[in-house]
Amino acid sequence: MNPNVSDLISALSAWENVPNTDSQTPENLKELLAGLSRRPLPVGSLHRLWSVGELSTQIALAYFALWIRQWLRTAETRDRAVMETNLRVALKTCQRLSYLRGALMKVGQTLGNFPDIVPTEFAETIDHLHFDAPPMHFSLLRELLRSELGADPEVLFESFETKAFAAASLGQVHLARLKSGETVAVKIQYPGIARTIDADVRNLRALLFPVRLGKDWEYVQRQVEEIHRMLQLETDYEHEAASLRRARKLFTSGEGIVVPEVYEKYSTKRVLTMQYLPGVLLNDFLATNPSQELRNQFGAKMYLASLRMYYAGMNYADPHSGNYVFMDDARLGLIDFGCVQRYGDEEKELIRFAEESASGRPDVLRELFRRSANLEDVDFKNQEYIELLTESHKWTCEPIQHDGPFDFGNVEHLKRGIQLVIGLVRKRYTRSHPMYVYFNRSVFGLRALLYRLQAHVDVKTLHREEVRVPSGPSLDELT
Amino acid sequence: MRVDLQTKVATRNRILKVAATLFARQGWDRATTRSIAASAGIATGTLFNYFPSKEAIAATLISDALTKAKDEFEEGCRGESLEEDLFSYIWTGLRYLRPSKTFLGCALDTLLSPLARSSPDHPGDLIRTEHLETVERLIASHHRVRQPLSALTMQLYWTLYLGVLAYWAKDVSPKLEDTMALLDQSLKLFVTSLEEGASAFGDACSEREETNESQR
Repeated sequence: MNPNVSDLISALSAWENVPNTDSQTPENLKELLAGLSRRPLPVGSLHRLWSVGELSTQIALAYFALWIRQWLRTAETRDRAVMETNLRVALKTCQRLSYLRGALMKVGQTLGNFPDIVPTEFAETIDHLHFDAPPMHFSLLRELLRSELGADPEVLFESFETKAFAAASLGQVHLARLKSGETVAVKIQYPGIARTIDADVRNLRALLFPVRLGKDWEYVQRQVEEIHRMLQLETDYEHEAASLRRARKLFTSGEGIVVPEVYEKYSTKRVLTMQYLPGVLLNDFLATNPSQELRNQFGAKMYLASLRMYYAGMNYADPHSGNYVFMDDARLGLIDFGCVQRYGDEEKELIRFAEESASGRPDVLRELFRRSANLEDVDFKNQEYIELLTESHKWTCEPIQHDGPFDFGNVEHLKRGIQLVIGLVRKRYTRSHPMYVYFNRSVFGLRALLYRLQAHVDVKTLHREEVRVPSGPSLDELT
Repeated sequence: MRVDLQTKVATRNRILKVAATLFARQGWDRATTRSIAASAGIATGTLFNYFPSKEAIAATLISDALTKAKDEFEEGCRGESLEEDLFSYIWTGLRYLRPSKTFLGCALDTLLSPLARSSPDHPGDLIRTEHLETVERLIASHHRVRQPLSALTMQLYWTLYLGVLAYWAKDVSPKLEDTMALLDQSLKLFVTSLEEGASAFGDACSEREETNESQR
């Protein structure tokens, strides 16, 4: 397992300027987020560096402070201290990330998927990061649409709602009706985001400068490049449209998984018009107090969707609550394909090998670690490292090896996974194949969502039915 | 020989058209009144009957474009917020200024900079005055400001506007998206400062009224 899932999960510490946890009510948090929308976006790389640098420096200091404090406390108060400091850091991080609209908000969304890291109220408030990004007013939208599609929205569409009904980390989504009658969701990207991401990655490279002298710099560099590549792809809605078209072919109507249709005529690199899927998002679905049976059905669909795309060479790498629509007829809609990693031959070979490693055979595991974590012979002498990797691998395979429905609502399973990641981060075991940067994010993200859903899913059976190695349609065959 | 009005208008338009082409092709510095006159088929002295300087020609080109932009803006729907209206007004202007993009940056200093105003009939003055009148009207229509807008506020706005124009003139980003983002964020900053200033003033007035009331 690769520890790059979220560097912010590992940030644990007290924070000087963040209000005391005890006084942090859901109302305060909502006020905090509402206030952020009135703040101007920093322009220019230097200003963004200031924000990012300050955050990472404070996280590092906060982490160190907690490490010291932990020595001075008993076990009981230590847990409380961890919770308090997690909340402080997450709040501060929330503030920073929402402030820096753009790619960095993606990291903030990952935090929202781990309700055990922060109190429930905070997790729900963080969820608003998915949907309540600072809005673009209609004058800006009109000019964007005119620039991208060649005409005003009043001319292009039969109707176009001036208020956004959803926010994306890179822009926002509006409902519209085509002249042919279909109801569509029009996703419009904030101008200049792609260049903002390039600035973000330059900043990230600068912050990683101390790592350059370490032995793992080559691997870290490859991972940063992979992150850069994926973030750039996320700004390319034509790439997302292609992913949508490919994914749509993977599911039959009887399976209850819906991928929206793309309307090419109204889509460009910065505007994506797709079929609107009516339904509710996760929070609203949970508020209806659904039956266990319904939770399990949706959980199985979420897992199946990821699995099928995985074996078709597509990693649905951004599984957060804003990506899934729970439809009234129990169908599951998948609505965001901005972060889809496509696997080449090298990655597909790794997938095949990972399948074999589920057997647990030591020689196969060793080879998997060698390939996926770029281990050399000398690394296998590091007992602690190998044990951590082995435990992480076991954790990943646990639902697959479990007979019958696996209870994803068991918080201990999720906690154990996060603790393993923290363990690897603490030891700075950062080496891995670049594919695992997003693979681990998708594994954690999906399990966190299934945890919130409290779903029981027979993963073993799903895997048995879905494994198409070496037969079955591949991504290439589907295009 | 008397020249009739129609001929005068035609000559004026020809000068403007030729000047726009030469500014774009040769650049601001290299295009001279002599070369403009020659391309328009008139004597340099004749050109001065219509425009006293190269700056005056540029000012007219810009002013004509912004007048058309203002007409389009006035005919359109109003936004719900001051930010929306200001954005729409300015961006419509930029669309009409597109043919002037190559030379506008160079002309900004001599035409529109607050430091360039040397006389009441400075060619850039009309552009500035008309633009600020519209902006003041927009502000008044969206905000209940209890005081006349200060000269400092309008100077702040004008500096912001010139900054956007200068940035736009050099912007090579696809579909000018960087300028769009800059304009959006700059206006957020300006409107926020306006609102906070009005709010502070309102609080101060309320406090004074309460004090006066208690003293009675």
